[in-house]
Amino acid sequence: MEEKSVLLEAKGICKQFNGIPVLKNVNLEIRRGEVHALMGENGAGKSTMIKIITGVYTMDDGQILMEGKPVTISCRQDARCCGISVIYQELSLIPALTVTENIFLGQEISRFGFTKKKEMRRQVKALIEKYGFDLDPDMLVSSMGMAQRQMVEILKALSMEAKLIIMDEPTASLSAAETETLFKTIDGLRQKGTSILYISHRLEEIYRMADRLTVMRDGENVGVLTREEMTPQKVTTMMIGHEIKEDKNRERRQRYEGNCLEVTGLAYKNILKDVNFKAYGGEILGIGGLVGTGRTELIRCIYGAEKPSRGKITLNGKPVSRSIAKNIKAGFGLVPEDRRNEGFVPLLSIEKNLAIASYDKLARFGVVNRKKEINFAQEAIRGYDIRPPMRHLPVGNLSGGNQQKVVLGRWLSRKPLVLLLDEPTAGVDVGVKHELYHLMRALATTGSIVIMVSSDLAELTHVADRILVMHDGRFFEEFTHENATQTAILLAASGVHTSEGVPL
Amino acid sequence: MNKKNLRRVISAMLVIALAAVFARTSDHFLSARNILQLLREASFVGLVALGVSFVIIGGGIDLSTGGIAALTGLVCARLSFIPGIPGIAVLLGGVLTGVACGAINAFLVTKVRLTEFVATLASGFVYSGLALIIAFRRNGIIESRPILNKSFTVLGTHVGGVYYITIVWLVMTVLMMLVLTKTNFGLHTYAQGSNPKSAQMSGVNNNFIKSGGFLICGFCVGLGASMVVAYQSAAPVTLGSAVAFQAIAACVVGGIVLGGGRGDAIGALLGSLFLTLILNGLMKYGLSIAWQSILQGGIIILATTFDAQFMKLPIKRRVKVKPGTGKEGH
Repeated sequence: MEEKSVLLEAKGICKQFNGIPVLKNVNLEIRRGEVHALMGENGAGKSTMIKIITGVYTMDDGQILMEGKPVTISCRQDARCCGISVIYQELSLIPALTVTENIFLGQEISRFGFTKKKEMRRQVKALIEKYGFDLDPDMLVSSMGMAQRQMVEILKALSMEAKLIIMDEPTASLSAAETETLFKTIDGLRQKGTSILYISHRLEEIYRMADRLTVMRDGENVGVLTREEMTPQKVTTMMIGHEIKEDKNRERRQRYEGNCLEVTGLAYKNILKDVNFKAYGGEILGIGGLVGTGRTELIRCIYGAEKPSRGKITLNGKPVSRSIAKNIKAGFGLVPEDRRNEGFVPLLSIEKNLAIASYDKLARFGVVNRKKEINFAQEAIRGYDIRPPMRHLPVGNLSGGNQQKVVLGRWLSRKPLVLLLDEPTAGVDVGVKHELYHLMRALATTGSIVIMVSSDLAELTHVADRILVMHDGRFFEEFTHENATQTAILLAASGVHTSEGVPL
Repeated sequence: MNKKNLRRVISAMLVIALAAVFARTSDHFLSARNILQLLREASFVGLVALGVSFVIIGGGIDLSTGGIAALTGLVCARLSFIPGIPGIAVLLGGVLTGVACGAINAFLVTKVRLTEFVATLASGFVYSGLALIIAFRRNGIIESRPILNKSFTVLGTHVGGVYYITIVWLVMTVLMMLVLTKTNFGLHTYAQGSNPKSAQMSGVNNNFIKSGGFLICGFCVGLGASMVVAYQSAAPVTLGSAVAFQAIAACVVGGIVLGGGRGDAIGALLGSLFLTLILNGLMKYGLSIAWQSILQGGIIILATTFDAQFMKLPIKRRVKVKPGTGKEGH
């Protein structure tokens, strides 16, 4: 491959938040007309890097060169002027307007307030023809699918003469066919000399599209690979770094076969295709996989918060109800991913938040026994070490970790048979994390089923007794605690079979 | 045919179907006189709906139109008693009152930063109260005094059977349709109603759009109320009591989705026609006010359900947010 000239060069970028370095002397080089992938685990610093390039954050130290000339990017407008555009996961188009109107929104060509539609339409048409998109300038965005909308976004970027288009997880909400269309579009752009910075967790997409690849880890650039050098093993190893051999010789957990949740042939919309598994009392079952593969939907289906389109869910042979209220009575509990919106009521006190799911036990004939309620709360605050230990404090005022203790405590106090957790330690600091693990373990030891969805690979390998990795709407591989490594789980999540796991 | 047009055709066909039913069951329904009377009745609600549709499309709501109508009516009445005042000046006074009320709403929303709902709920009460203050009284009791200013009341008459208010309504509808589809302001109103954040990011001035909506709304309500007062030759303090919610109902029936970003002036027109037709027609069947009210509610529920279910309108895609997991241990 011939050497292409450099479009954007970022040198020695540093950034701190509250004294914690997030980017440490990062270099990034993007050439003209290349698809450059940026990879790294959550928290590796990818988003921060992009936000600096696009003017959302300002860097503490470093330099950005555009076509060899140093530039200052201190706001989004600056980035746009330099020819840098971003296409976000959450598309920003206006459904009620046409393609043309959307592309020119905010910079209409007009005279006396009347828009010159014909002129704008002509320009959009020229642009569509130049890049060979399959779009109609007069089409309403509301009547388009996700992939087409994305094309409009790309067109909008091109209309602003973007030389570099940044795509952040562009395929997250696309179907397989739509993804294919997007790839064709990207290919076309590359041939026309537009550079693409492609951020994705899906390794298979990267291998297919990227000319070069930069891997970030812990706020550092750990290497650049060319197309010839990329292999799944190499990339995942670079992402995870040196894995410290964990002490896997912990005491064997007692499994209680008497308490068993069984899911067979579960399908949900087109996200979950055919999910089968058994979870037993006494064990913590970890569920891994990439974000958006349907892990959240799976546990919401089990809990009764979503209606599966097919399949059977049974607890000890009895079918699980589709009603959340009935399931809670039957011993289910859910710690949701979106803590603030679904997990707790921010304005209510610790006491009320703890008691909210247990009024069946705290009330008689619909009247709450105040004494029982206070005792219930005080026991939980003491038992789960919720800080500060003031039962009247609104939960919204607590730290993330203590909020999560309240959510977890609400269920633990009921001694649930099945506890479902979705990203239970997201945004929780390290110390509290271990307290949460301890509480989960304590519950499992009493014979309850604990199912934990997590994107944190270290958490899965450290806490779970058994790990099921989801890929493409199915469970792809199963790992025992003893065999699991972070690299293997990450590979399995990308659809690559590993020697450590058992294929399902 | 795209969905926008489909929805419009459906509304129009409903109006025609309803008219056909009434035409079959009543001999004089299709008489020119009856139709022109119907149009006159629809004009007031129609003008208010037209105004409020701007606010709704922009993502807001205006509950104060009833108060604005009452106040405007009484300002017109008061002005018309000034000796020698030309009717056009009275009309101008009425319209300006409406615009002023709209400006106050805009101020409350953009500067005081109240939500549209609260701001216009409160201001509506204030406008109604102001109307009561300037109402005519005899021995302290409010009375409706007949307006004798011929140059003003002529605005309430008709030319060749078509009432002036109907002409004004139709002209305004065409005008507003042009504003919505052909101007930056119109496009930005849709953008703002659909997704205020991304509109702002694209360079749309949110406050400007909001203010414009309220001003247009005030203008339309002022115009409509003044013309109605001219027709009735009186300004009852109850002038606007029902119109605010009827206008919103007309918008909803006409496919203007509460929440913003959808619908247009033609929708407001068709919705107003439909509501007037059904209320008027049922009156002829001798259905009580109670049933009319219940039916109106039912129609709103049907229209909204239809828009949500069959037009697949505001469906939000669940976008997953990557959890910010802190890493540990390696």
